[in-house]
Amino acid sequence: NIDPESLLPKLPDPDELKPFPTTCAAIFRGQEGRVRSVSIDPRGIFVASGGDDGYVRIWEILTGRQVWNVKVSDDDNVDTVRWRPGKDSAILAAAAGENIYLIVPFAILSPDVEQASRDLLDAGWGYAASKPSTTANGAAPKEPAARWSRPEKRLEDKGVLVQTTVRSTVKVINWHRKGEYFATVSPRGQSSAVAIHTLSKHLTQLPFRRLRGLAQSAQFHPSKAIFFVATRNSIRSYDLAKQELVKILQPGAKWISSFDVHPGGDNLIVGTYDKRLLWHDLDLSTTPYKTLRYHQEAIRAVAFHHGGLPLFADASDDGSLQIFHGKVVGDLMENATIVPLKVLRGHQVRSRLGVMDVDWHPREPWCVSAGADGTCRLWN
Amino acid sequence: WTDGELKLEMEAQEVVDLIKALFAESDYRHKAIAEIRRTTLRRFNLSQLVNNLLHNEKAIPFEFLVNGQFLRSSIEEFLTQNGISAETTLNVEYTRALIPPLNVSSFEHDDWVSSVDILSQTSPAGSWSKDGIQSGQERILSASYDGLVRVWNLSGDCIATSPPPNNGGRITSLKSAKWISATRLVAAGLDNVVRVYKYDEDERTITSTLELYNHRWGVEDIAVHGPSNRILSASSDTTISLFSSNAKENPTAPSNLLPTSTAASNKRQKLSKPDRTVPSRGALSTLSGHTSPVSSVIFKPDDATVAYSASHDHTLRTWDLPTSTCVDTRTTGHSLLSLAALPSRNLLATGTSARHITLIDPRTSATQIAIMTLRGHGNGVVSLDTDPTSEYGLVSGSHDGTVKIWDIRSKQYASAPGEGQVGESVYSFDREGAVKMRSHGEGVKVFGVRWEQEVGIVSAGEDKKVQINRSR
Ligand SMILES: [Mg+2]
Repeated sequence: NIDPESLLPKLPDPDELKPFPTTCAAIFRGQEGRVRSVSIDPRGIFVASGGDDGYVRIWEILTGRQVWNVKVSDDDNVDTVRWRPGKDSAILAAAAGENIYLIVPFAILSPDVEQASRDLLDAGWGYAASKPSTTANGAAPKEPAARWSRPEKRLEDKGVLVQTTVRSTVKVINWHRKGEYFATVSPRGQSSAVAIHTLSKHLTQLPFRRLRGLAQSAQFHPSKAIFFVATRNSIRSYDLAKQELVKILQPGAKWISSFDVHPGGDNLIVGTYDKRLLWHDLDLSTTPYKTLRYHQEAIRAVAFHHGGLPLFADASDDGSLQIFHGKVVGDLMENATIVPLKVLRGHQVRSRLGVMDVDWHPREPWCVSAGADGTCRLWN
Repeated sequence: WTDGELKLEMEAQEVVDLIKALFAESDYRHKAIAEIRRTTLRRFNLSQLVNNLLHNEKAIPFEFLVNGQFLRSSIEEFLTQNGISAETTLNVEYTRALIPPLNVSSFEHDDWVSSVDILSQTSPAGSWSKDGIQSGQERILSASYDGLVRVWNLSGDCIATSPPPNNGGRITSLKSAKWISATRLVAAGLDNVVRVYKYDEDERTITSTLELYNHRWGVEDIAVHGPSNRILSASSDTTISLFSSNAKENPTAPSNLLPTSTAASNKRQKLSKPDRTVPSRGALSTLSGHTSPVSSVIFKPDDATVAYSASHDHTLRTWDLPTSTCVDTRTTGHSLLSLAALPSRNLLATGTSARHITLIDPRTSATQIAIMTLRGHGNGVVSLDTDPTSEYGLVSGSHDGTVKIWDIRSKQYASAPGEGQVGESVYSFDREGAVKMRSHGEGVKVFGVRWEQEVGIVSAGEDKKVQINRSR
């Protein structure tokens, strides 16, 4: 008689997998309505947030002190905020409605960092006027993919220096690691749902003439010229250089909410509105390597730690975040070790919405969450 | 705790042994021992006995140390917990017990208070001042997120407030302020500029006299050495700057950091119309080596050519200032947020984001990282200072909203590998009026704490108050 339990591989004790976040270290209060998005700056000093009050805000990460804000829209939510990678400048991208804003929050910058950031944004002005945007097939579209313009003076005086208007509401922004490109996703945009923008040329390209299904999210591969696009049911990866489809992942989900690519590039986590968290090993199969069902409600956001720690997190409408150990071994023969570590509770559920976004600190085992309860929280 | 509050049940013979260990043979000792034999003594009586034997007119509460560790149980339990056999000779000492520092006053500010410093006869700046500081003339300096420094008397009257800095629309929230002397201050914060001010007690004015430029991101901490006019600043840009408080000693300011250096900031600067120009200077040297924000910097207490720094990069570094070189790096497991020296113990205390304080001997080889770990805070330990009357004492301020007092002789029996011995706080107090304390400290985070003999423990926080706690 063999106990079937004894045949299962033993998972390490969470205590042996420290450090990971366990407690709420700061609450960022001062927003009205839901906070939809958080992003920690590349130096790990500031947190940016955006939400239903139409404001983009910046906070000190350790104290939770609000140090800067701007109201970018009276009518639209700020659905996403993302810092541009790189430590020599400080540029924040934010989207509200059909507008993407590129912001240099000079109030918290030294004059030279401000100037370096302005230079990066200003470089593209000449291009925008002279060259029309193109689609993948090279034909001039009837309507430009995007209009790059200077925002109204009130915004420009606060450091909102570029306004990029696309055809449909933007829900996702993700930067390429070098900060020269960023991708945006407008789920209702049909042929213009996924756009890739070139910062130095103020150029917007629409790489997909026709997408199967509604686009949910998109991301660049951390090191290769590969681009991932999630629709409701599947995630496709494309070779940007060859302009061809590489792989179709089938998480078996009813509705994908978000995904993140492991910094090594060979693994991917997917969160779904049908309460599941899936781990895909791109070397193994197009179906998930692991399916994790820990939440009572939809998962809205998933994120790997991108600073060298084997951690990932998800954020759910049940009001909690879950922290996992996720160790990827370079060896092709060995699969990833995944261990649930901690449930972080504190956010209040409002109108059936809980935690809406999560981002990791660039080095530390700390994360920041955005809540429908109007707060952001630092966990360490 | 108040004397006698601790229940210390001891056998009469145990107390007799204690008294014999502490005092030489005398008539008083003989009388005391006779008295002990009549009753079962508790701590209160023990302390009283020591007072009698010392002929103290006013009773002083005493604590007892056995082999350098506080006696918090009966001797028998102490021996059992430490695995000491009954035959071993014990080293017994008595020491003045901590009198609980009670909240004596609070000074209201308009915004969060990030830092405090004390000017008194025995404070560093007081001791550097030519005429000294008379009793009753003590002053408190506070730095606030509103960008202003203020000087207060101990009655809570704000004597002077600095003018708001003009910096072309940049945020000017302050993070640190220090007295240089009775008439000079230095402060810095999120606008990266280190400002020297003149303080005029008679005119009740604080005037900016020098602006020091070298940092590209906010300044988190400042250290001052008055006799050599040296200022150190620790920045989120990962560097530490060495400046002189005398304008002329410093080189010209790096032009790319001045608010007038770019078209946009120059325009904003002009729009905000500065009423006077303050001289701008650069740094004597830049200490580079840390790879993340530097949270704290101090001069070595007995040698101002040496500095120590603590950083979010987990390291504690020792710097030789004349050559601007890092001479030692100690790597810990956590982001370091605060720093203080216990010079007579050859220890540095550093507060971490992981809710504890680590004691490090900067002299020993790097093999042993922590000599001791002080546990008890529920959030990051962001400020530390030393006990002015004890070489074993420390005070800490934390984002958990508490200030805790530590005596490094107060140890727990068990400890985890790699942490050295584990210590626990001897006293803890909250913010005045704080209800329902939570470890995230929302609304009551402590940002700065200083401890001085005459004034007591002065702490600053998110509650927009400076709070003074003193033993009475
Ligand atoms: Mg593999």
